[in-house]
Amino acid sequence: MALFLLQRLGTLLITLLVASLLVFLVMEVLPGDPAAIILGVNARADTLAALRAEMGLDRPAWERYLLWLGGLVTGDLGRSYTYGVTVWELVAERIGLSLPLALMAIVLSTVLAIPLGVLAAARRNKAADVGVMGFTQLGIAIPNFWFAILLILLFAVHWQVLPAGGFAGWDAGFWPALKTLLLPAVALALPQAAILARVTRSSVLETLGEDYVRTARAKGLSRRAALWHHAVRNALIPVVTIMGLQFSFLLAGTIIIENVFYLPGLGRLIFQAIAQRDLIVVKDLVILLAASVVVVNFLVDLLYAVLDPRLRGGGHVL
Amino acid sequence: MSSETRVASLREFWQRGRGQANLMIGLLVTLLLVALAAVSLFWTPYPVNAIDIPAKLQPPSAAHWLGTDQFGRDVLSRIMAGARNSIAVSLVAVGIGAGIGVPLGALAAARRGWVEEVVMRFNDFTFAFPALLSAVMITALLGPGAVNSIIAIGIFNIPVFARLTRGAALSLWQRDFVLAARVAGRGRTRITLDHILPNIASLLIVQMTIQFALAILAEAGLSYLGLGTQPPDPSWGKMLNEAQTLMFLAPQLAIFPGLAIMVTVLGLNLLGDGLRDLLDPRLRRLR
Amino acid sequence: MSLLSLQDLTVTLDTPEGPATVLDRVSFDLAPGESLGIVGESGCGKSMTALAVMGLLPAAARCRGRIDFEDQDLLTLDERALCALRGRRIAMVFQEPMTALNPVKTIGFQVAEGLRWHFGLGRGEAEARALKLLDRVGLPQPRFSPDLYPHQLSGGQRQRVVIAMALACDPALLIADEPTTALDVTSQAEILALIAEVTAGSKMALMLITHDLAVVWQNTAAMLVMYAGTVAERGATAEVFARMAHPYTRGLLAASPGALEDILPAGRRLATIPGQVPDPHDRPQGCVFAGRCPRVADDCLPCPPGERLLVPGHAVACLHPHEGETPS
Repeated sequence: MALFLLQRLGTLLITLLVASLLVFLVMEVLPGDPAAIILGVNARADTLAALRAEMGLDRPAWERYLLWLGGLVTGDLGRSYTYGVTVWELVAERIGLSLPLALMAIVLSTVLAIPLGVLAAARRNKAADVGVMGFTQLGIAIPNFWFAILLILLFAVHWQVLPAGGFAGWDAGFWPALKTLLLPAVALALPQAAILARVTRSSVLETLGEDYVRTARAKGLSRRAALWHHAVRNALIPVVTIMGLQFSFLLAGTIIIENVFYLPGLGRLIFQAIAQRDLIVVKDLVILLAASVVVVNFLVDLLYAVLDPRLRGGGHVL
Repeated sequence: MSSETRVASLREFWQRGRGQANLMIGLLVTLLLVALAAVSLFWTPYPVNAIDIPAKLQPPSAAHWLGTDQFGRDVLSRIMAGARNSIAVSLVAVGIGAGIGVPLGALAAARRGWVEEVVMRFNDFTFAFPALLSAVMITALLGPGAVNSIIAIGIFNIPVFARLTRGAALSLWQRDFVLAARVAGRGRTRITLDHILPNIASLLIVQMTIQFALAILAEAGLSYLGLGTQPPDPSWGKMLNEAQTLMFLAPQLAIFPGLAIMVTVLGLNLLGDGLRDLLDPRLRRLR
Repeated sequence: MSLLSLQDLTVTLDTPEGPATVLDRVSFDLAPGESLGIVGESGCGKSMTALAVMGLLPAAARCRGRIDFEDQDLLTLDERALCALRGRRIAMVFQEPMTALNPVKTIGFQVAEGLRWHFGLGRGEAEARALKLLDRVGLPQPRFSPDLYPHQLSGGQRQRVVIAMALACDPALLIADEPTTALDVTSQAEILALIAEVTAGSKMALMLITHDLAVVWQNTAAMLVMYAGTVAERGATAEVFARMAHPYTRGLLAASPGALEDILPAGRRLATIPGQVPDPHDRPQGCVFAGRCPRVADDCLPCPPGERLLVPGHAVACLHPHEGETPS
C-alpha cells in the first residue's frame, strides 16, 4: 500500500509537470504581446521594450518556463497585470468564497445522493426506485446554469427570500454570507447528486448480491440491518471514486455558476483573466485547479485504505 | 458480443424495442428535435432575426406561441433555429471525438506496448483538467465562436472514446474467434476492422448517444458564457444568458430555452439507456 | 419426534421464460441430534432445499407444502419471526468461505454480530464469547486475534470463522451447504472433522449438503439422494451404500473419484452419466431420470414413480430399481 501510494504520488507529480508545460506552451502560441495589450496600441517603442524587459518577455521561452515553474514551487506566483496585485493575493481573496461553495455543494450532494441511492437499491423496481431514478434522469439532463436561473426566479424573484446574486462577504457575518452561497451550492450540487445517486444505487445493488450479505441474513439480521451494516459500507468504495472524479466537474461547474450568481470566486476570476488575457493569472490558476484535482484524487486513494482493510496491508496469519 | 452473434434485422430490433418505454420516449423526443431543426432550415413562424421593437417582451400568445424577446424576436423561431445550432455543434464535436478516439483506442489495444502507454497516459492526464475549464480556455484563446466550441468539445470527447474502445477491444483480443483469426495469419489491422470494431459497434453507438447529450449541455454552457455561437445567430445558452438580465421583466424568457435543453438531453439519455438495454442482451437479462 | 420435517415441498421460480420447478414434492424428517446427508449433482435442488429451510429463497420463488421446524410451519411465518429463528435456532455454513465473510469487518465483529443481534449482548461481552467460539473452532488466541480481517486468513481458516458464526447462538439445526467444496484436500478433512466434532454428542442436528458421496459416507447417519428437484433414494447411509437401488445413485457412485477406496476397488475407471438434467421449465411427465436411465422402460414415461420401501428405512423412487448389493 505504501509503495502504491508512492507510485501514485510520483505519477501525480509528473502529471502536474506535464500540465504546467502544456499550459505554458498554449500561452506561448497565443497571438498578441501581453505588454502591448497592457500599454495599448499607441505605446511608444521604448516604453514597450522597458515593460517587456520588466515582465521578462525578452528572455527565451525555456528560461521563462523555468522561472515560472520555480516560482510555483517556491510560492511566488507572480503579479497580475490587470489587477496590479500578486496572484497570491487574488487567490487568497477569492478562495474564501470558492472553497466553502465547493464544500457546501459536495456535502449537499452527498447527503442527498447516498440515502436516495440506497433507498432505490433497497426498493428495486418499486415505486420509490422508479421515483428516484426519474429524479436522477432529470438532474442529469438539467443544465446547471439553467437550474440556477430557475432557483433565482423562484427564491429571489418570486418569493424574495434569498438574494439573486452577489456575495455578502464573510465580514457581513456567517449567516448572511452563507445565505448568498446557498442557491449557488444547490445549483452545483444537483447534477452531482443525480449522478452519485445512480452510482450508489448500482453499487448497492451489486453488493446486495454478495455472499456476505446472505451470510448476514443467515445470522438472522433483518433485510434493513444487512443492507446498512454490510451492503452499504462495501458499496461506498466505488462511490468514493466517483466523488473524487466529480471534484473536477465541480470546479468546472463553479466557472459557470459563479458567473450566473456574479460571485467573485476563483471560477469567475479565471474566466475574466482569460477574457482579459491576464496570462500569468490564467497559467497559475489552471495549474492550481489541476493540482487541487490531483490532490483530491490522491486523498481518495488514501480514503480507500480506510474503507477497505484489504489495502491496508497486514499479511497472512500462518 | 461476439462474431457469432447474429446481426438482427431492423425489424427484429423494432419488435424487441417497442416494449421499452425509455427507448420509445427517447426516440420520439430525439426525432422531434431533429424534425424541429430540419423544419427551421426552410421555415420558422417568423424570420429568426426579425426585430420588432413594438412587440418586444410579449408573453406567450396566439401570435407568438412562446412570446418575444427584448428585440421583439419570436422565441419559438429562435428555439427552432437554436436546435439546429445545438445539433450541428454536438454532432461534429462527437464526430471528432469518436473519429480520433476510436482509432486511438483500437490501436492501443492492438499494439499494446508503448503505443498503449502513451494513449493511456494521455487519458490519465486529461482527467486532471476539468473538461469545461479547458473548453473555456480553448474558446477564449482561439476566440469565441461556434467552430472553436466544436473543437473544444470535440477534444474532450477523444479520451472518452479512446478509453472505451481500448477496454472493450482488449477483452475481445482474448476471445477465441480473434485468436483463431490470428492463428490464420490475419494482420492486426484486418482483425481490428473485421472482428473488433463490428463487435464494439453497439457499445460505441450507445456511448455516442450519451456523449451527444453531454455535448449539448457543454455547448449550451459555452454559449451561455458568451464563448460559443455568436449573436445574432440564436443558441439556447445565449438566449438564457440574455434572459437572465431580464428576469424581473420577463421571467418566461428564461423558461423555454432551458426546457428545450433539458428535454433534448433527457431524450438523448433515455435513447442511450434504451439502446444499451436493446443491444446488450447480458444487461437485459439482469434486469 | 422430529426437529425438521419437510412435507411435499415444491418450489417454483418465476423466470422470464415462465415458471421453473426447482423442487418437486420433497419430503424428509430430521430428528434432534441426527445427521442427514443430501447428495446430488449441482442443480439438483439441494441448495434450494437449504435456502428454503432458511427462508432465504430468491424473491421470485414460490413455495408449496410444509416446512415444519420445532412444530411451526416456516412457510407461514412472517419475516420478523424468521429473523428470530435464523442464526438463533437454524444456522448455516456456506460453500465459499472466500466470499461468505464481509471483507471490511473484523472476524471478531462478524462472530459476535449474531450474539449481539439475538441476545442483545453488549459489545464487550459478545466479543468475549466470540473469542471462546474462535478457540472452539481451532483458531486460538493470541495467534488468531479477533481484530484480523478475512483476507488475512486462508480458506480453511475462514471456513472455521464461518462455522464459529454458525455455532454462536447454539442452534438446534446446522445446515452445511458444500462446506468443503472450495477448500484444498487437507482443509477439507479438517473442516469435516470439525463439523463432526461440534455436532457429536450435542443435540444439534446436521444437514450436510454435498455432491460427494464420500463426504456423506464418512459423516452422516442418514442420506438422501436428489435428482432434478426430486428425492431419488433415501435411507440409513450404510444401508443405502450397501444396496444402492436407484440407477442414478449407482451412476453417481461410478462417477465418484477417490476417497471411496474402502468400498471401491482401486484403479477402477470413472464413469459418466450420459445425457442432461431435464429443463426445469419443461419437466417430463414421468420419471425425471428416464432420459438418462440405462434401465428405462415404457412404464417409466407416463407418470412419476412413487417412492417405495425396499426394507424398513430404505426407500427408492424407481419402478425398476437395482436389486442386491452394490457391486464393487
